[in-house]
Amino acid sequence: MDYPMDRQWSARIVTPGIAWPIELCVVVLCLFAIWLLNPTAVLADLPPNLPSADLSSPSSPCVGCHRDNDHTLSLPSGETLSLDANIAELAVSVHGSGSAEPLNCTDCHTNETNYRYPHLPSPALTREEYGERVAQSCQNCHAPLAKHNPGHLNAVDNPNLPNCVDCHGQGHSVTSVAVLTADPVAACQGCHQSFDDPQIGRVHEELAANFGDNQNCQSCHSDRPIYPADVRCRDCHLMLQSSIELASGESVSLHVDPASISDSVHGSSMVEHRYTPLRCTNCHSDSERYEFPHQALTVDDARSLTLEMDDLCQECHTDIAALDHDGVHEAAREKNELAAASCADCHGSHNIQSPTEPRERISETCGNCHSTINDAYVESVHGAALLGEHNPDVPVCIDCHGVHNIAPPQTAQFRVTSPDLCAGCHANETLMAKYDISTNVFDTYVADFHGTTVELFEKQTPWQETNKAVCYDCHGIHNILPANDEHSQVIKENLLVTCQQCHPDASANFPASWTSHFEPSPEHNPLVYYINLFYAVLIPGVLGGFALLIGSDVYRRLGKNPRRVAGAKTTKEKSPRQEDEKGDAE
Amino acid sequence: MSQIVKRYSRFDRAQRIEHLALILSFTLLSITGLPQKYPDTGWGQGMIWLLGGIELTRLIHHTSAIVMIVGSIYHLASVGYRVFVRRVQMSMLPGWKDVVDAVQTLGYNFRLINSPPQMGRYTFGEKVEYWAVIWGTLIMILTGFVLWNPIATSRLLPGEFIPAAKAAHGGEALLAVLSIVTWHLYNVHIKHFNKSMFSGWLSHHEMEEEHPLELAAREMAQEVPVDVKALHQRRRVYIPVAVLFSLVMLVSVYFFVTFEVTAITTVPRQTIEVYAPAR
Repeated sequence: MDYPMDRQWSARIVTPGIAWPIELCVVVLCLFAIWLLNPTAVLADLPPNLPSADLSSPSSPCVGCHRDNDHTLSLPSGETLSLDANIAELAVSVHGSGSAEPLNCTDCHTNETNYRYPHLPSPALTREEYGERVAQSCQNCHAPLAKHNPGHLNAVDNPNLPNCVDCHGQGHSVTSVAVLTADPVAACQGCHQSFDDPQIGRVHEELAANFGDNQNCQSCHSDRPIYPADVRCRDCHLMLQSSIELASGESVSLHVDPASISDSVHGSSMVEHRYTPLRCTNCHSDSERYEFPHQALTVDDARSLTLEMDDLCQECHTDIAALDHDGVHEAAREKNELAAASCADCHGSHNIQSPTEPRERISETCGNCHSTINDAYVESVHGAALLGEHNPDVPVCIDCHGVHNIAPPQTAQFRVTSPDLCAGCHANETLMAKYDISTNVFDTYVADFHGTTVELFEKQTPWQETNKAVCYDCHGIHNILPANDEHSQVIKENLLVTCQQCHPDASANFPASWTSHFEPSPEHNPLVYYINLFYAVLIPGVLGGFALLIGSDVYRRLGKNPRRVAGAKTTKEKSPRQEDEKGDAE
Repeated sequence: MSQIVKRYSRFDRAQRIEHLALILSFTLLSITGLPQKYPDTGWGQGMIWLLGGIELTRLIHHTSAIVMIVGSIYHLASVGYRVFVRRVQMSMLPGWKDVVDAVQTLGYNFRLINSPPQMGRYTFGEKVEYWAVIWGTLIMILTGFVLWNPIATSRLLPGEFIPAAKAAHGGEALLAVLSIVTWHLYNVHIKHFNKSMFSGWLSHHEMEEEHPLELAAREMAQEVPVDVKALHQRRRVYIPVAVLFSLVMLVSVYFFVTFEVTAITTVPRQTIEVYAPAR
């Protein structure tokens, strides 16, 4: 170390011939200082074994006085400084004799003006000021404070900026960085009374406990001049692994994996749609609640928390929210059936992915709550094709029930309109051709008594119940099987039982009264076919005969007919005067 | 007597009332039945809507059917009375002359022959209409029974008879309605408004024009005294038989209407556990 000033000063002192008044003054001042410091008392208290061998010799004189010294020095502010150098702690500190580079007292206490014995009084007026002066000496060896802890220095207008000793310890028991980062809560708590807040304290304790390699307070509280809230949220919640316990005993995990959000539909893929990826605060937008430290949750159970979040989605997805409003789930929730699905129940929360990809995902999603129905669907002709063959043509839940504005399926309206749902695919020729399924099914249904009635109900009084069968009454609802499956409700062997659901007295012949979706033909329902054929011939035949007679009669009457002209002259009638009483002949 | 224009009785009051009942039931059956045959047409749906929906349409149809069946029973009993008690001539029976009359009418209309055929109390056209009603009503009642009681029918007959009955019911209905609006409408309303079914009478001119043989027969007929004793004797036998027959028939109608409960009123609902969170 280079002490140019000190060298010059000592040179002057040892040079003879200096003006004696100065020397006199120095002596007087020294005496005064000795009196002031009361060295007799100091010396009297010195332990019997003077400077120990564990301290390097230049310091030994200092140690001699400042070991186990219970005197204090009063500062003008009224604060006191202990004169005990706490030698034992110093010895084990980072700067002590046990460290790689042990320091001497004067490595830090460099100012010989002050520390030359007898010492001059400290110019510091307060302890704080004293600390600052000590901190200056840390920078003799260490990087300037500005580089070391810029986070603090960013707050330049803060009058209470910490210096080295504020964190690393006053006096000689200098705490290492490793120790500080191991327990940052304790380290920072000295100034940051906010740690007294249980939430802040708890969160920082957990974060500190989870510090990985190269992670410390500054990993978050770094020199980033702008530290976006979003990053703060992510940094913190990624490291947090604990949960909040709700009054219900349920727990809500604090862990959020930012990757799950950036991979979600709200993440980087939004750029493709010319949107900015969402930030945490886009959804968690209640600034009062989500400002750190966060306000305590006001809900008692996890379900209420999920439902509370439901409103957040509606801020952007207004159109879907409007649809939802007409759906069964929202209606159920309004009736306090809180298990009814909300946005997050189907879509997830942070890791939201496209809900329809892959297509199998749809029935799986619904099955989360409607498992018994899904179990039946999985076994059905539609579900088996979806899950077994990844068939894109078969209906999934939403094709029949809709999405968001899902209508209640137990209404008369749903029932009488349901054949149209089935016809949507089963009357589609291009679609059915792939599977060699007849598209006549709808027309033949409507031509029959059941279908005729149901169609009229649908068109005229859809709100009214009808007991006439719709597709699913015979074929099943979610458990629809191919019509030729041995377990199918509509295969010939099982049809009577199916008919008896509505026609309890039906006997063995009765199912044949249904034309089985066949147009009458010589092969299928020949009796019906021939009766239709009979009338197709008879009606024009009879009407043709009538037409011939009527037409010829008109022809005769319109033409000049001598008889008719003559007859018109001879039949001037008078009103009847006399009644024929005898005629009642049959 | 030569210049005095007479009027000739044709239908008595009971027959006219019977005809009114037939008009009422037939019309109601037609306007409630045809839209059921053509429910996929706009007019069919419009009529059903005007009638108050398909269920009410069917109720009107069924009620009208009962009126028509009861009318038919009455007609059988009254014809029996005339035939067995009063022993009037069965002038409605068709004969070879009717075929000849029809051919001659065509010939006359096409001016192949100079004078129209001379016809009696019931012309061939009227006989065609009468027997068409008889035959049609029988078909409609039988097929109607099948449609009303499909479960009972299928206990005895193959199930296919039910859609077959529906086809026949519709075909026969169409034939009947078209016949009425062509043949009947033309002959008794357009060609010449024959009011006898409402007034009961035909004029001498009308008789001359349409029923010259009957006119001649009635002009020639001698007053034959009725054997009142024998008439009463026959009536004593016939009336209990007719009452019994009518009762049996009416009971059958009741049976027809209430024979079976075809279907339950409300389709059973499946009870599904809607909210069943996956394991």
